[in-house]
Amino acid sequence: MFHNSSQRKYWIFKSEDELEQMRHRANQKFRNKIHESGKAAASASVFLERHEEEVLFRHYERRLMDFCSIFKPAMPKSVVGTAIMYFRRFYLNNSIMEYHPRIIMLTCAYLSCKVDEFNVSSTQFVGNLLQETPAGQERVLEQILEYELLLIQQLNFHLVVHNPYRPMEGLLIDLKTRYPMLENPESLRKSADDFLTQAAITDAGLLFPPSQIALTAILNSSSRAGLSMESYLTECMGLKGDKETLSKMYDSMRRMKTLLKKYELPKSEEVNVYKQKLERIHAEFSSSNKRKRGYEEDGHVAKERRLEEEEWTDEDLI
Amino acid sequence: MDDKGCPRCKTTKYRNPSLKLMVNVCGHTLCENCVEMLFVRGSGNCVQCDTPLRKSSFRVQLFEDPTVDKEVEIRKKVLKIYNKRDVDFPSLRDYNDYLEQVEDIVFNLTNNIDVDNTKLRMEQYQRENRDNIQRNKAKLTREQEELEELLLLEQRDNEQRRLDVLQEEQRQLQAKRKNKQALLDELEQSKLPATLLLAQHKVRAAQLETQIEQQKQVVKPTNLFSTGIHMRQTVSLQPVPKIEEVLYHYKPLEIEICGPPVPELEQLGRLGYLNHVRAAMPQDTAGGYTSALACHRAIQDAFSGLFPQRG
Repeated sequence: MFHNSSQRKYWIFKSEDELEQMRHRANQKFRNKIHESGKAAASASVFLERHEEEVLFRHYERRLMDFCSIFKPAMPKSVVGTAIMYFRRFYLNNSIMEYHPRIIMLTCAYLSCKVDEFNVSSTQFVGNLLQETPAGQERVLEQILEYELLLIQQLNFHLVVHNPYRPMEGLLIDLKTRYPMLENPESLRKSADDFLTQAAITDAGLLFPPSQIALTAILNSSSRAGLSMESYLTECMGLKGDKETLSKMYDSMRRMKTLLKKYELPKSEEVNVYKQKLERIHAEFSSSNKRKRGYEEDGHVAKERRLEEEEWTDEDLI
Repeated sequence: MDDKGCPRCKTTKYRNPSLKLMVNVCGHTLCENCVEMLFVRGSGNCVQCDTPLRKSSFRVQLFEDPTVDKEVEIRKKVLKIYNKRDVDFPSLRDYNDYLEQVEDIVFNLTNNIDVDNTKLRMEQYQRENRDNIQRNKAKLTREQEELEELLLLEQRDNEQRRLDVLQEEQRQLQAKRKNKQALLDELEQSKLPATLLLAQHKVRAAQLETQIEQQKQVVKPTNLFSTGIHMRQTVSLQPVPKIEEVLYHYKPLEIEICGPPVPELEQLGRLGYLNHVRAAMPQDTAGGYTSALACHRAIQDAFSGLFPQRG
């Protein structure tokens, strides 16, 4: 359960500012690394700024969502949620300039299939890269396996992700059982689902417990339908006398809603410009700066160097 | 494994079935022939690790793994010095620590870890505990002697018992023979009819038989157990050392879930929760699944961490 999980202990942060600081630090870390490696040509304008990174990050996150949504066999929601959470956690401490999000996003999806017990074989998995030739798929798979250990390490081996989907089911059951005032709880489901999908591509999962996100989704859905559910909180949840907790909960719900409202789609022209920049950075630095890969450091497996690493582009994905 | 062989001349058990592998203190093997050849002068260095060795300390390898042989040898040596016993310690804990220490030393010496330090430690221990070691050694030998004496006594008893049985059988045999002889004598000399004599004899023979049977049944009472402990003697056992520990007190598990209370699994049906979940299919129930489990989990997840943390 969530209350004694690693998610609550290590991956719930206090505020949006804290997250932003961490990402900023990751960006700075990459710059420092390049400077230290003594690349004279590296002027500050070469690198991606934080907001540029953010745009690209959102772009690739959407690609991850799209990839998962057309995945065959159909992927359960919790697998998608876990994959996106991995993706977000990974880039909290790493810059997209260091590890290309194109491969990390696939690795996240691959790992979450395994962790969430959604059984697909690796060839079946890369078989979903429809634009790739079989040889290309093979190559991608090899890369995924290479980055898998790095990903797990960067997630600090905290692989279980609590998604808000089951809590929402639980709340719906509870509503049906204990809150007969609400006539048709199932009618809330559609818009609550949309809310959760929206919340998955924001930082909500890094700031709030999944049960709170689910509750917010349901309350949001009911208020849209013009129903007030305050009595559910006061009567059924036993918060009648506890004004402090109640106000805190309303506060975090408000924060969550603004978080969702603030989300804007990455503009395609911006994305294209930044993507070129990103490709340049990777072409220039990644060959000189040997990427650290989970196992190569330990000297366990010395895989042959990949020759045509950057051959496929992300246009091939979907 | 048949491919075990001498590392020097590469002979294997397969090629030379009478091959005898020997081990010395360093734990490396050599075949008997190589030992004879290399150690003609009585001493030399190990082929593999250059440890100076004496020919006389070569032993036939008993275990498949020569390091086990080495360990046995080392353990024998170490235990000669570390010969304290549990009665020498105030508590079980101390004794166990001591045993642990002994195991450490044996392990270190066997695996060549920190050998110099370990040897130094052993020497120091020997110096500090010289009296103790001597005393324990004497005690050990004394106990050994007592045990041997006991065994001897038992053996003698057994021998005595066997002789007794043998004599008894002999006596019975003689009695029967005498009886028969008497019958023949009487038939020869007596004036009475033969049938009467025969009948008399039969009665006497039957009496003899029953007598023997009775004797057999009377088992001689023994006053010794086979362990040599006298019967009816109360054996004074060492009082079992008491281990004082705080008794375990059961406390019901309390889970802080940071949310509203979750109804118990058993109550879900009564509270009406189960009316709102999909009923379990018959094939699901084979594995022990009930719809209450899924329902309970969903509600637990829904309530866990729902309230914001205080402070």
